[in-house]
Amino acid sequence: MKTVGFRSVVLYLLLAAFLGGVGFLTVELLLNGGKWAMQPYNGHLYAEESTVELGEITDRAGNVLAYTDEDGQRMYGYGETNRRALLHTVGDSRGYISTGVQHLLSARLSGYNPVTGLAQTPWAGSGRNVQLTVDQTACAAAFTAMNGKNGAVLVYNYRTGDLLVKVSAPGFDPEHLPEDLDTNEAYQGVYLDNTLSSSFTPGSIFKLVTVCAAMETWPDSWQERTYSCTGSEEIGGEAIACLHGNAHGEQTVREALGNSCNVFFARLANDIGAQALQAKAEEMGFNREWTFGTVPISESEIDLTGCNANQLGWAGVGQYTVLANPYHMLLLMGAAANGGRAVPPRLTENGGLSELLQGEETLLTEGEAAALRDLMRSNVTDYYGEGLFPAGMNVCAKTGTGEVGDGKAPNCWMVGFCDSAEHPYAFAVLVEEGTGGIESAGAVAAAALAALN
Amino acid sequence: MDWIQEFLTSGLLPGVLLALRAVTPLLALYVIWRSYTSFQKGQRRRDPLIVLRDEASGVQFPVLYWENSIGRSKSCDIYLPDGAVSRDHAVLLRREEGWFICDTGSKAGVFVNGQKVTDRALVGAGDRLTLGSVTLTLGNSDGAPPKRRRVFTGFSRRPASPRKLLFVASLVQFLMAVQGCFQDGGFAPRQFIPFLAVLVLEWSVFLVAVGALRHVSFEIETVAFLLSGMGVQLLAASDFDTAVTQLAALVLGVGTFSFLLWFMNDLDRVARFRVAIGAAALVLFAVNLVLGDERYGSKNWISLGPVSVQPSEFIKIAFVFVGTSTLDRLQTKKNITEFLIFAGACVGFLALLRDFGTALIFFACFLIIAFMRSGSVRTIALVLMAAALGVVLILKFKPYVAERFLGWGHVWEHINDSMGYQQTRVLTYMASGGWLGVGLGQGCLIDIFAADSDLVFGLLVEEQGLFLGLVVLAAMGLLIFYARSDVTRSRSTFFSIAACAAAGLLLFQTCLNVFGSTDILPMTGVTLPFFSAGGSSLVSCWGLMAFLKASDERTYAARRAAKHSAKAPSKRELEDIYS
Repeated sequence: MKTVGFRSVVLYLLLAAFLGGVGFLTVELLLNGGKWAMQPYNGHLYAEESTVELGEITDRAGNVLAYTDEDGQRMYGYGETNRRALLHTVGDSRGYISTGVQHLLSARLSGYNPVTGLAQTPWAGSGRNVQLTVDQTACAAAFTAMNGKNGAVLVYNYRTGDLLVKVSAPGFDPEHLPEDLDTNEAYQGVYLDNTLSSSFTPGSIFKLVTVCAAMETWPDSWQERTYSCTGSEEIGGEAIACLHGNAHGEQTVREALGNSCNVFFARLANDIGAQALQAKAEEMGFNREWTFGTVPISESEIDLTGCNANQLGWAGVGQYTVLANPYHMLLLMGAAANGGRAVPPRLTENGGLSELLQGEETLLTEGEAAALRDLMRSNVTDYYGEGLFPAGMNVCAKTGTGEVGDGKAPNCWMVGFCDSAEHPYAFAVLVEEGTGGIESAGAVAAAALAALN
Repeated sequence: MDWIQEFLTSGLLPGVLLALRAVTPLLALYVIWRSYTSFQKGQRRRDPLIVLRDEASGVQFPVLYWENSIGRSKSCDIYLPDGAVSRDHAVLLRREEGWFICDTGSKAGVFVNGQKVTDRALVGAGDRLTLGSVTLTLGNSDGAPPKRRRVFTGFSRRPASPRKLLFVASLVQFLMAVQGCFQDGGFAPRQFIPFLAVLVLEWSVFLVAVGALRHVSFEIETVAFLLSGMGVQLLAASDFDTAVTQLAALVLGVGTFSFLLWFMNDLDRVARFRVAIGAAALVLFAVNLVLGDERYGSKNWISLGPVSVQPSEFIKIAFVFVGTSTLDRLQTKKNITEFLIFAGACVGFLALLRDFGTALIFFACFLIIAFMRSGSVRTIALVLMAAALGVVLILKFKPYVAERFLGWGHVWEHINDSMGYQQTRVLTYMASGGWLGVGLGQGCLIDIFAADSDLVFGLLVEEQGLFLGLVVLAAMGLLIFYARSDVTRSRSTFFSIAACAAAGLLLFQTCLNVFGSTDILPMTGVTLPFFSAGGSSLVSCWGLMAFLKASDERTYAARRAAKHSAKAPSKRELEDIYS
């Protein structure tokens, strides 16, 4: 009998494994509970008849962007334009937009804590509201100016980091979910926030990178370099042409940037060399994994290994396989406006996302920043026309038309900033299948800036 | 009913329900802890029942157990280091009629007062037992001070009264019923029906067992009723009909429990039916294989008109019956080949039925029984290797089997396909519940397939909180201690092994259920004892609890042995005398 008794100790092995497992599960729940609970399929958070009352989301002026009404229904801002313009920033009720505040900050909005979970408690409802840095009016103005096109608009204060405009299209009205969301081609890619999660062919805005590479290659003589343009030139066996075949003649960098001369920059890129151009682009944030809070940013890409002279020429004007992400372009403009250092953008006034962001990033030297400011300012005064923008904003900018092929109209870009202490705004605008940099993207940037004025 | 309306609209409801959810686990913890400590305190001290006196050397052997092995092997309960004594010579055991001596295949034989014993012989005080060259006289033990037990048995000195424990258990069920009543901010008095049904059942059983039959202990039943009652109430909150079925199964389970206790009262009867039970189990498996319904990938159901049963649940009980044995049989038939073949057949049938979770449970139970019977680490290692080989062969020839378990460890990459859908929901909703739960009937997990069976632990934690979930798991873990604390005090190794097998089986099943649904182990789809919806499962759990109950010697109204004792000679002393 005692032998059997002794052998029964084997049960303790099972018990030890059991206790180990239970301990592991408990610790995992404590560590990851918040993350596990905040899944987009969680019925407590996202069901129509959810028992969890999410906090209010407001813009910088206190306008309500999202709230829960007495029936427990989640409601959004006033007017369809406002709701659609802020869809990707605020998020939706079903958790489709995983980069929206409503999803990213659901733990905070729902009052989640590990002890009471998502349960209704008598003390719920305090301190769960979130105020955003965005300006509803400016977002709506930018959205309207996009005129139904797809794209991305970002404007931020390059001194404080406050994101003022963040619009992505296509979008939908979160209060009236369209039934054909998954079938209608117009809604293709609607769940992606184009400002953060997409990269596009940059076209001529990449010439700013090529200019900076020239500054590094010829620190003392880059301003004096000239190339002659006849509208089209054979480089590496194939032609590189300017927009509409315009012949720009003999130009300096300043003139070529204003004219957005492809021939000039293709030859400049070849003189800089693939290695130096790629290195400079990477220094300026290309091929880098940025994150916004916990959201990974789609990378801006450049890969010039093994490219020929023609391909290098096209890369120098932002074609070939070069891709740019709007959020990254915003950072770059912020750096140019701020002496080379980009202040990290933030989206929330009272804690939340901003705490997760990285510190200041040096993307340019002070000299490069000053030179870009000067060049981009002369783009506006001498080529685009000051009248495009609200008076007194002192805008510095560069346009771009990224050719995408497939018979589609180009990606129209405008990136820039206001060189003004009163209006410290940097912006990056992309309009897909637009008519031109100034016409499509410029109009959107101007509308956003006007609304902020 | 005005006050109810007033209360519902007062805004106090969420706070009151939260308080109830905080109190419920505290009370449940009190019941399971006090049940265990009372169970231990109620046990007899380890005093010798009788003594064997060697008149030649004057050595006294206290007889401590209900079944005692006698032999030259040091592991024997009564160790006789004499050349003429076989290693496992005889077994002295106690049955209803009195003490018996059994010859367990000794070379020299066993003689009682000079008469050779063929099978076993009844012996009494003054009888002389000759084993080899040693002759021992059976006598009553003379009083010596009992040894003090120094094991920590809780904070209270006296055992709690069974009535009080059952009362607190009922209170826990009442609090859950109240929660069910006020779910969704409304008032649903129907939720009290399952509570009242459990209440009537548990107190009737209590009155019969403690009142009429004068049983001293009610701890095992209290814990089982506590867990089953909570399970019924949890199910009632989301689907009343399931709870009604579960209640019916509970009645059947209590019936099975009582029947098994009666059946095991006579160990000779058990021995007579052993082969029949084993054969019936295999026939039932065969019938299942032929007539079974395929449900969700497994074929482990048989439909009998409106009722469908899972035969494998009942075979668990048969499996324990076939595996365990009395000490005299263990000493005579040393190898476990017979049981190995039976276990192999059971696991084989389950694999054919594609019920891999249950197959694993049977295998674990087999390992526990096999080790307790043979004590051979080598045998266990060989069996494990053979099993590993079997698994490799299955994966090689039936690769689709592995597909069911591919999501293991990667469930977050599969939140919308079958490899991780259920597990991620369980984790999300457990986290949503926090430590105190979102409230009975407020859970979202219930909408997921198998939420009330395979995923029921997630449902419990989501609605009632991790705190209560851990208390329930503690109750399952304590089963091991129940089984262990009785292991040398039971009336036979039959009960000792059966209790350990049952406790091990229930705990292992709990592991598979809880860790499977939370992605710590691959998900095999087994039930959580006492909680999962499923009549067969609940009946089987109560049946297994009968083994734990039976191993407590108080169950069969044992006469208390006189507090007499004799000092046991040390091994060294014995060797000096006999060599």
